[in-house]
Amino acid sequence: MGQRNRGLRALLALGGAAVLVAAACGTGTPSGGTKVTVIGTWGGAEQEAFLAMVKPWEDKTGNTVAYTGTRDINAVLTTGVASGILPDLAGLPGPGQMVEWGKSGALKPLDSVLDIETYKSETSPAFVDLGTVDGKIVGVFIKSALKGLIWYNPNDYTAGAPATWDDVMSTSTGSAESLWCVGLESGAASGWPGTDWIEDFVLRQSGPEVYDAWVAGTHPWASPEIKAAFEGFGEVLDASYGGADTVVSTNFGDGGNPLFTDPPGCVFHHQASFITSFFKDQGGAADGDFDFFPMPDINPEYAGAFTGAGDLFGMFNDKPAARDLLKYLVTAEAQQIWVSIGGALSGNTKVTDYPDDVSKRSAEILGSAKIFRFDGGDLMPTALQSAFFGAMVEFAQDQSKLDEILAGLDEASTAARGG
Amino acid sequence: MTAMPRAAGAVRRPIWTRWGLHAVLLLIMAIWLIPTLALLVNSFRPSAEVSSSGWWTAIVPPWDFTLANYEHVLARQGLGQAFINSLFITIPATVISVMVAAIAAYAFAWMDFPFRNVLFVIVVGLLVVPLQSTLIPVLRLLASTGIAGTYMAVWLAHTGYGLPFAVYLLRNYMGGLPKEVFESAAIDGANPMVAFFRLALPMSVPVLASLAIFQFLFIWNDLLVSLIYIGATNSEYLPLTVVVANLVNSLGGETHYLTAAAFITMALPLIVFLALQRYFVRGITGGAVKG
Repeated sequence: MGQRNRGLRALLALGGAAVLVAAACGTGTPSGGTKVTVIGTWGGAEQEAFLAMVKPWEDKTGNTVAYTGTRDINAVLTTGVASGILPDLAGLPGPGQMVEWGKSGALKPLDSVLDIETYKSETSPAFVDLGTVDGKIVGVFIKSALKGLIWYNPNDYTAGAPATWDDVMSTSTGSAESLWCVGLESGAASGWPGTDWIEDFVLRQSGPEVYDAWVAGTHPWASPEIKAAFEGFGEVLDASYGGADTVVSTNFGDGGNPLFTDPPGCVFHHQASFITSFFKDQGGAADGDFDFFPMPDINPEYAGAFTGAGDLFGMFNDKPAARDLLKYLVTAEAQQIWVSIGGALSGNTKVTDYPDDVSKRSAEILGSAKIFRFDGGDLMPTALQSAFFGAMVEFAQDQSKLDEILAGLDEASTAARGG
Repeated sequence: MTAMPRAAGAVRRPIWTRWGLHAVLLLIMAIWLIPTLALLVNSFRPSAEVSSSGWWTAIVPPWDFTLANYEHVLARQGLGQAFINSLFITIPATVISVMVAAIAAYAFAWMDFPFRNVLFVIVVGLLVVPLQSTLIPVLRLLASTGIAGTYMAVWLAHTGYGLPFAVYLLRNYMGGLPKEVFESAAIDGANPMVAFFRLALPMSVPVLASLAIFQFLFIWNDLLVSLIYIGATNSEYLPLTVVVANLVNSLGGETHYLTAAAFITMALPLIVFLALQRYFVRGITGGAVKG
């Protein structure tokens, strides 16, 4: 017994020692300057880009940024708001949550933090509006993404950008197996790439007024306009690589991979500007193997309409260093850093120096869009957004259930809005 | 220990039965190992191949293995610190919860006090409380005492979450210790403290070790508790799990690094498990059958 216990005793002693050491360290703070805590969803290369973005500010002020990246940001911020333990600055899960926390006062108004005139002149009005709750700015955009881009492989497809949506749909598949590649799988959020399709159709077919009313819950899902959008997506699904089973079981990140096989599986893939990193990492594509044209106008009345998204950012603890950091983050100087590293479009229109042709053109489209709308699903209540995701998977599996699906979404909309 | 009369249990079986048993065991082991093997193989493959073909295609020539995933993960800033943070969180939290549970279990098993059984049932009943439902109230409590965001907060939280099971496991084991030992100790004048430290604790070493393994693995692999109680305010204390999960970007890309990171994360628990495994099986079955 005695022999054997020695190991265990050593382990206990080690544990005891660790308790003491950790307790001693537990109260230490980084030396010099103030620590600004920031939490966001950015991980991997995004996290590195964000840290590179704040580095000049740290060097200048002597303060430090303590960044926590997690995709469970909703859990951290919800428990944080309930208990008062919050980071100084935070990426926000979505506009819906931002409105709630802006109204409750958890998010501090930024009107006295930012130079409002400059901010408004450098930011697209749609983004300014989105960050405004009860007349006060509580959320700003650090970066943005353009949706509704149609990707192709220039080695296979050489006809250039089609003028109309009908031209896109009647493009010859050539050596490719199908016209479209669609991948809807994304874990618990499976179906979201389909929601981007619907949003692009609604905006281009029926215009911004219907779009806004639909997102706000005043325009029913079971209306001819929304139904037409689903039917438009249905035609795409009918012409998609591998059929319904492939569509629902393919991860969105792998969705465009058949563009790069030989012979190609499809001609076109519809996805936001961020997809290029997936093409390179998972599709085995090199620069030059992919290019895009924007999804063409459908109803000429609403020409130049685009959807997009962005990462909202807000302040929970009003302290001088946090104010200073937030002020720095919205500047063109700061956002240029992330843009140069790649993978992001700026939220600031003064940023024009893009590292590659694809992001440069995306940024130009974003800047010159005649009609710009934020991703509709992100603006809906969370429960309705989840239902929207699920509905896309259901629709891809069986399009004949469309009426039933739309009726279900109307119910989900009423329920999610407390009706 | 090897001298223990193993022969007592070894009734000679026909040789084919033993071979058959071993074959079945090997088969089950192989099935159990397949996911880990797949992970290992994939951690050495380039990301484009991982997403385009199955791991089994990589084990036959032509081989195309790379160390790039490991290089990326190891070079990542903060991984070493996160490893140490994980130790700072896991070891104290394990020691505290095992110690508290041992004392509580002894009291429930051998000391007489009012409402003993009711209290025991309540403690064990807490097993059914989902951890997630406690996050907000516990965080409020930690905030009001001012220790939110420190290691202490996580140690206490993990101790609390681990105690119902720990007390249950230890109480059953200690309850099965021979009554005569404690009676004779009491006659010889041992008070409960002496009986606990000199008798109950040494006799419970196997179950303490297996509980320690359980707690260690649970806390080592935990992400949520640390993230909620530390994450918002002290990112420099976050454990390996949070840092590893964040190798993936917000769109779910860069997953190919996870396979390599998973192996780095698994290294220490494997060592702990292998070092303590001889206690493991005995501890689990220890309290089950008496006599």
